[in-house]
Amino acid sequence: MRLEILLTALLYFGGTCLTGYAVRRLLKLKKEGLLFSVALGAFCWWALMELILVPMTMKFASFSSFVVIYSVAIALLSLAGLLCWRDIQEDVKELAGNWRKYLTLGHVVALLLIVIELWFIHHHMYLEWDDTYYVNLANVAISSDKIYWVYPETGIQVDLDKRYMLSLWPIFYAWLSKLFGVVPTIMAHTIMPWLMIPLAYVIYVLIGKRLFEDDVQLQGMFLAFAVLIHLFMSGEHTTGLTFLAITPWVGKGILAGIIIPGLFYWILRAVRDGGTANWMMLGITGLGGCLTSSVGIMLTPLFVGIAVFLLTLQTKKIRYLAYGILSCLPCILLGLYYIPLTH
Amino acid sequence: MDEFFEIAKTDFLATFEGAWMFPLLLLCAVLILWKEPDRTRKLLIGLLPLTAVFIYWFPPTGMFLMKVLGENIYWRILWLILVAVTIPYALCLLLRKCSGLRRQAAFLLCLALVALCGTPLLASEEFLDSTNEYKIPQYVIEVCDLLPENIHAMVSNRLLPYIRQYDTSITLEYARNAFDSALLEEGRSNVEKLYLEMQEDEIDLSYLAPLAKEEGCTFIVLSNTRTYIGEWEDYGYEKYASTADFDIFVDMDYEEGQDTRKWED
Repeated sequence: MRLEILLTALLYFGGTCLTGYAVRRLLKLKKEGLLFSVALGAFCWWALMELILVPMTMKFASFSSFVVIYSVAIALLSLAGLLCWRDIQEDVKELAGNWRKYLTLGHVVALLLIVIELWFIHHHMYLEWDDTYYVNLANVAISSDKIYWVYPETGIQVDLDKRYMLSLWPIFYAWLSKLFGVVPTIMAHTIMPWLMIPLAYVIYVLIGKRLFEDDVQLQGMFLAFAVLIHLFMSGEHTTGLTFLAITPWVGKGILAGIIIPGLFYWILRAVRDGGTANWMMLGITGLGGCLTSSVGIMLTPLFVGIAVFLLTLQTKKIRYLAYGILSCLPCILLGLYYIPLTH
Repeated sequence: MDEFFEIAKTDFLATFEGAWMFPLLLLCAVLILWKEPDRTRKLLIGLLPLTAVFIYWFPPTGMFLMKVLGENIYWRILWLILVAVTIPYALCLLLRKCSGLRRQAAFLLCLALVALCGTPLLASEEFLDSTNEYKIPQYVIEVCDLLPENIHAMVSNRLLPYIRQYDTSITLEYARNAFDSALLEEGRSNVEKLYLEMQEDEIDLSYLAPLAKEEGCTFIVLSNTRTYIGEWEDYGYEKYASTADFDIFVDMDYEEGQDTRKWED
C-alpha cells in the first residue's frame, strides 16, 4: 500500500504543480513558489472536473469515457506545465537557496503535528456513516461503469437523489482509483488523507506567507497554530475543520477544510494585488467547491458575497462587489440549475 | 421564530460546546479589530467571522438561509467562520511584539492555550485501530469473504453500511435508509415488512423466509445471537457458513456461481 500511496501522491502533487505552472503562465503570476502552483493546480483540476463531469452525468455518459476525457485534459495541462520549465527551475533554485530560513520553531512544530496527524489517521479508522453513500458511489462507478445512475447503498437502479448530481466529488477518487487500480474504498480511506491533509495545510502556508511577508518565524507559528486548531477544534461532527482530521476523503470536509480557506486566500490576494488573475482564481476555486458538496454551491457565493460586501462598504469601491459577483457566476449558474433540479 | 432559535442554538452548541474555542475566537476577533493597523486585514480577519456569526443568529438572514439550505444542514453556515485563520493571526499579532527567546517561549505558551481551549480530536473514542486497508470493521470482511460474488442479500443492520464498500457485486434488499422509511411509512411494502421482521428479537421464519424468497434474497446474514421460530430448512433456506459474529443462510434453490443481483440494466 505504501507504493500506491507514494505513486498517487506523486501523480497528484506532481500533476497539480505542473498544472499550476501552466495556469500561472496564462494568468501572469510569477515568482509565487512551488506550493502556490500545487494549490492553484488542485483548484483548477476540480473546477475542470466539474465542467466535464456535470454534462457527462446528465448525458448518461459512461464512467470510463469520463476517465479518458478527464485524464487527457489533465495530461495536456501537465504537459503545458512542463513547458514552463524555466519558471519551475527558478522556483526550485529559490527554494534550494533559502530552505534553511524555513527551519524555524513554528515550522518544525507544524511539520511535527502534521506528521502525527497523518500517522494517526493512517493507523486508525473512523467509521463515517455517510460513506455507505459516497464511497459506494465511487465503487459503483468503477463496477458498473455508470456515473451515479445506480443507487450506491443497495446497488439497485432507482430514481436518484438529484441534490448530489452537481457535486459528485467521489468520482474524483474513483478516477484516481481507476488510474492506479486501487479499490475506491481503499483510495478514500487509506490514500486520500495523504493528499488532502497536506493540501489543506498548503493553503494555510500560503495564507501565512501573505499575512507575514517579512517574518518567516511568524509564518511558521501561524501554520503551527492553524494545524493545532484543526486537531483541537470542538464539535467533532459539525465543525468543518474537524472533518479534515476525521474524514479527509468526504466532499464536505474538502469544502470546509480546503475550498473555503482557499477562497479567503484569493480574496486576500485580490484586495492587496488587484488584477483579474486573483479574481479569476477565486471563481475557479468556487467552481471547484461546487464539485465537493452541493452545499458548496450556496456557501461559496455566500462567503465571497459577505467578504466583498464588507469590502465595498469599507472602501466605497463598487468594483469589489462587481468582481465578487462575477467570480461567483459559475456557482450562481449552478445554483439556478440546482433549484429546478431538486424541486 | 422559536423554532429557528431552537435549531440555531442546538447546532451552535453542538459545534462549540465542551470547549473554549468560541470565546477564544471572539477574543481574538476583538483583538484584531483593536490592534491591527491594516483596515483590510481588520475587516477580513476580524470582522468577517463576526459577520458570519451575526448572519447565523440574526433571524431575517438566518431564517432565509435555513429555508434555502434546509434545517438539517443549517449549521454549515458556521463553516464560514475561519477559526483557523482568526485565532492564529491574533496570536501572531501578539507574538510580533516579542523577539528572540521570548517569542519562542510565548509561542509555546500560546500553543498550550489553544490546546487547553479545545478538545483533542485524535483522542475521540470514535477512532478505532485499523485492521485492514479498507478501514471497515473486520467482521464485515470475514462475512464478505465467505459470500459468493453477484448475489442479492439481506443483511444485519451492523453490516448494512459497510458490506458494499468491500464488495459492490452484492446488492442489498434494503439500505440504512430503511431505518427511517420502514418505521415511518404506513403502507408497508415487502421490503419494509422484511426490515421490521429482521429487527425482531425472535424472528418468525414462517413470515420472513417466504417473503425473502419472493423478493429474491438469495442470502440472509444475521447475527449469531438471534433466535428463530421455526427451522430454516422448512422454508427453503439452509445454513451456508458462519463467522465469529454472524450466520449466513442461503436459498436452497441457489446454484453456485448464479447471478442473483437485482440489477435493472
